Amino acid sequence: MIHALKAARSKMLPRLAVLVVAIAGLGLASCDDNGGDPRRQIGANPVLPELQQYLMPPIRIAKVAGWGKDETPTAAQGLQIHALATGFEHPRSVYVLPNGDVLVVESNGPKAPISRPKDIITGWVQQFAGAKAKDANRITLLRDTKGDGVPELRTVFLDHLNSPFGVALVGHDLYVANTDAIVRYPYQDGQTSITAAGTKLTDLPGGPIDHHWTKSLLASPDGSKLYVGVGSNSNIGENGIGAEYERAAIWEVDRASGAHRIFASGIRNPTGLQWEPETGKLWAIANERDEIGPDLVPDYLTSVRDGGFYGWPYSYYGQHLDPRIMPQRPDLVATAIAPDYALSSHVAPLGVAMYTGTDLPANYRGGAFVGEHGSWDRTPLNGYKVVFVPFSGGRPSGPAQDVVTGFLDENNHAHGRPVGLAIDRSGGLLIADDVGNTVWRVSSLKPGSPPKPAS
Amino acid sequence: MKHATITEATFIGDASLRSTAKPRGRPLHRILVSFSAAYFAGALVTDLVYWQTPDVLWERFSIWLVAAGLIMAGLATIAYVIDLAGGRQIDRPSWPRVVGYAFAVLLSLINAFVHSRDGYTAVVPTGLMLSGLVVVVLLLTAWVGMALANRPRVGG
Repeated sequence: MIHALKAARSKMLPRLAVLVVAIAGLGLASCDDNGGDPRRQIGANPVLPELQQYLMPPIRIAKVAGWGKDETPTAAQGLQIHALATGFEHPRSVYVLPNGDVLVVESNGPKAPISRPKDIITGWVQQFAGAKAKDANRITLLRDTKGDGVPELRTVFLDHLNSPFGVALVGHDLYVANTDAIVRYPYQDGQTSITAAGTKLTDLPGGPIDHHWTKSLLASPDGSKLYVGVGSNSNIGENGIGAEYERAAIWEVDRASGAHRIFASGIRNPTGLQWEPETGKLWAIANERDEIGPDLVPDYLTSVRDGGFYGWPYSYYGQHLDPRIMPQRPDLVATAIAPDYALSSHVAPLGVAMYTGTDLPANYRGGAFVGEHGSWDRTPLNGYKVVFVPFSGGRPSGPAQDVVTGFLDENNHAHGRPVGLAIDRSGGLLIADDVGNTVWRVSSLKPGSPPKPAS
Repeated sequence: MKHATITEATFIGDASLRSTAKPRGRPLHRILVSFSAAYFAGALVTDLVYWQTPDVLWERFSIWLVAAGLIMAGLATIAYVIDLAGGRQIDRPSWPRVVGYAFAVLLSLINAFVHSRDGYTAVVPTGLMLSGLVVVVLLLTAWVGMALANRPRVGG
C-alpha cells in the first residue's frame, strides 16, 4: 500500500510541478512585453501581431498630476494654445452653437455594477486614473463675443442630466444624448440657460451594466436624422451577447418619429461621429478591444457604410478572429469590413473634428483632428494627445501628426487628458480635458497677439 | 483496556474527558480547508456547465467560487498559524497534505487570474483544465492523507 502510494506520488508530483511551472512561466513571460512603435499601426495597413492572453492583464495608468498655474499643453509649430476656461467638473465634450456660444458637457459614467471580483479591482484602478472623478451631469455655456478667446459669460446651460455626452442642434431643437435617452429641448438663439423640461425622442441602451456609457450624436445635414454612436456593453462580450442588443452600433434615429434602425454594427465603441466635408460621408472614431496585447487591437477612424458590419465582437480588422467569443459567427465575420485608418493601439480616441474652418494653417483644412484620451493597459503609454489625420479626396492621405502634446510629463504623470473636440466659430480647435478640468483653445500663432490668460 | 475506558467514562463528564484526550472538536483550520475544497470543486462543476452552454452566468459562478475558495484558504492559513502559535495541541503537520493543499491553492490562484479574463477563454480550455486539476490534486491529497493516517505506526 505504502509502496504503491509512494510510486504514485513520485510519478505524479514532478509532472504536476512541471505543469505549474509552465503555467506560471506563461504568465510571467507576458508580463514584460512592451508595445512596439505606434507608428507601425497608424494608417490603412497596421501591423497586427499575434494575439496573446494574459494571467495578469497589463495595467499601466498615468498618475494624475493636474495643471499648475500657467501650465498648458504644447501646440505644434505655427499654433498656440491657451485655456478658454478652467474649473470644470470632468468635461467630456464640447459643442459650438451657431452664435458661437460653446457648450461644455460635464459628465461621467454611471456607477458600474460588480459582476466579478475583477470589477472591484478595475473600479479601484479607474479611481486612481481620475476616471471616477466627481461629475456634474450638466452643460455649461461659455460666451466669447469679442472672439479673443476669453469668455465674458459663463452660465449653467442645462442641469440634472444623466451622463450626457453628445449634443446636436437642429433649428430650434437642441438634442442631448444622455446615456439612456436622447432628450429634446427648445432652444432660442442666444439663450444662455434652458429651464424647460426636455422631451424624450427615444430611449438608448443604458443600464444596468452600461459598460461604454458615452453616446455620441450627429445630425444629418438636412436635419431629418440623428446618428448616435452606441458603445458595447463589455470589452469582448463577457456580459453575455444578450447585453449587446443594439449596442456596438451606430443608430440612425428619425428626428420626427424617434424611430431608429441600426445604420452600422460591429463597431465596439463609436465615440465620435463627423461628416467628411468633401464627400459628405459619415466617419467615426472607435475604441477597439483590450487584453489581447499592447498592440492589439488598434483603435481607428473609419468611414461608415450603411448596413456595414465592422467585426466586433467576432473579429477585428476584417477577418482576424477573436477566440474569446462563443458561439462564433463565421457568417458575420465573412462580411466584416476592415476600418479605413488605424490610430494605433489603446490610444482611446474620444473626440473627432473635421476641420472646416479657416483660422488654422491651410494644411489642416479638410482633415480630422482626433482627441486621444490615452491608454490604461499598455506599456509604454500611448495617446494622451491630439493628432491630425490629413485628408485628400475624402480619404486619409498620410500619417497622423501630433498637434497638441504635453498632457503627459516626462515622469508619465498626466496633467490632463484630451476628450471631445470641436471647431469654434472663428476656426479655433476646442479640446475638453477631463483630468485637467479645462477647455483648451488652439489657434494660429499670429505675431504680436499673445493670448490673454483665462480668468 | 476497552473496559477501563468505559469505567472512566461513567465517572467523568463528557467535557472533561474530551479535554484530557484531545482538543475539543476539529481544529478550525480543518473546517476552513474543507470549505475551500468544496468551493474549488463547485467551480469545476460550473466550469463544465459553462463549457456546455456557454452562458456567462456560469463563468461568473466559477470565478466567485474560486475567489471564495481562495479566501477560505487564506483564512485557513491564518487559523493554522494561530493554532500553532497558541501552542494548541493540533496534529503534527503532515507534509504530503500541506504540500498537496498548498499546490491546489496555488493552482487556484492561477485559475482565478485565468477566470478573470474576458469572454470564453476565461474558462475554455485553460480555466476548465485548471479547475479539474485542482480537484484531482485535492482528491490525491485527501487520499494520501488518509493512507498516512491509517498506516500502522512504527514504534508507537
